[in-house]
Amino acid sequence: MRRVIVAVSIAASVALLAYTTTVAGALGYLGLETRTLARMFLALTYNPDLRELTAMSPEAVTAIVWDFRGVDTLYETVVFYMAIIAALAIYRGVSRVSGGGGVGLSLIVRVVTKLLIPMNIAIAVSIAVHGHLTPGGGFQAGATLAVISVLLAVVYSVNSFSRVGVDISKAVALRSAGLIAIAIVVFTPLIYSALTGAQAYLMQSYVKVDSGFYFPVDVFGQLISGTLIWLNTAEFLAVSFGFFIVFMLLSLREEIVKQSLLGEGRGS
Amino acid sequence: MDVTLLLLALFSTVGLVFTYLAVTERDLVRAIIYSAVQSSAYAVLLYLLRAPDIVLVYIPVSVGLYPAALLFLVGKTEKVDGE
Repeated sequence: MRRVIVAVSIAASVALLAYTTTVAGALGYLGLETRTLARMFLALTYNPDLRELTAMSPEAVTAIVWDFRGVDTLYETVVFYMAIIAALAIYRGVSRVSGGGGVGLSLIVRVVTKLLIPMNIAIAVSIAVHGHLTPGGGFQAGATLAVISVLLAVVYSVNSFSRVGVDISKAVALRSAGLIAIAIVVFTPLIYSALTGAQAYLMQSYVKVDSGFYFPVDVFGQLISGTLIWLNTAEFLAVSFGFFIVFMLLSLREEIVKQSLLGEGRGS
Repeated sequence: MDVTLLLLALFSTVGLVFTYLAVTERDLVRAIIYSAVQSSAYAVLLYLLRAPDIVLVYIPVSVGLYPAALLFLVGKTEKVDGE
């Protein structure tokens, strides 16, 4: 009886949701019309004829994320940064990631993973540096690279982090490098403005109506879309090593963490 | 009938079934795997809805990182819910 009620209520909710979103048009008739806001973004994302308004990136999502609403993304990055700081604060005093005598999974799994890791790195870098041309960007690439940290911990055991030369302090340094690079890109227009007296805005990527400041849009004929490629690459570093830190800490054995936390409590 | 709509219906049903299995399963490791299957179905849905940017972040997070984080946490508690 209980299962029947569950099945009926699930089916009813699905039918209701499907009806409201399609036939009743709660989200607008999908695919039939393009909303004005969407049309505006599509017209402005890459439009060399409207130099003061365009983001000079054919990838509309990245253009929106890092240019049209760039400050939002900046604050999202700050939120992620604070979350990692909280994780580091909880695990304070744990500097080496090792423990247990684990050797990981079977040889077959380890060999397959060894083949997958270079592909994973290549795809992640490609998603990051092509983020302004094709779907993708810094966060996507960072999440893709971070999967390696899970593979290392699960397939090769926790000890593998020190074997491949990644430890928490290195990951923190690389993540900070990414964040500093984002800050440099964000503040460059203001520094330019302070030095030359010309008008320029925070996070400005390309020329505006009253400001001639711009980041180079192409290099040797290759489109780099102003700040977008730099912000994507820096975000890639910050996000991937942020996740690396979290997964290195999570994969630690509880005894080892407790030992180092108690050590701190005893004042040693 | 449009193939995209058929595929949307198919993968959303797969997602629904695995959501139900994940919620009702008492073995937490199995529940996490059901949840990952549901996420894979949702990744296809997002691709069909023409959101490749979201797919690229959804696959590593929901199939890789999120189940991994949950497995680490389950490893620190009991494997079966409610005991």
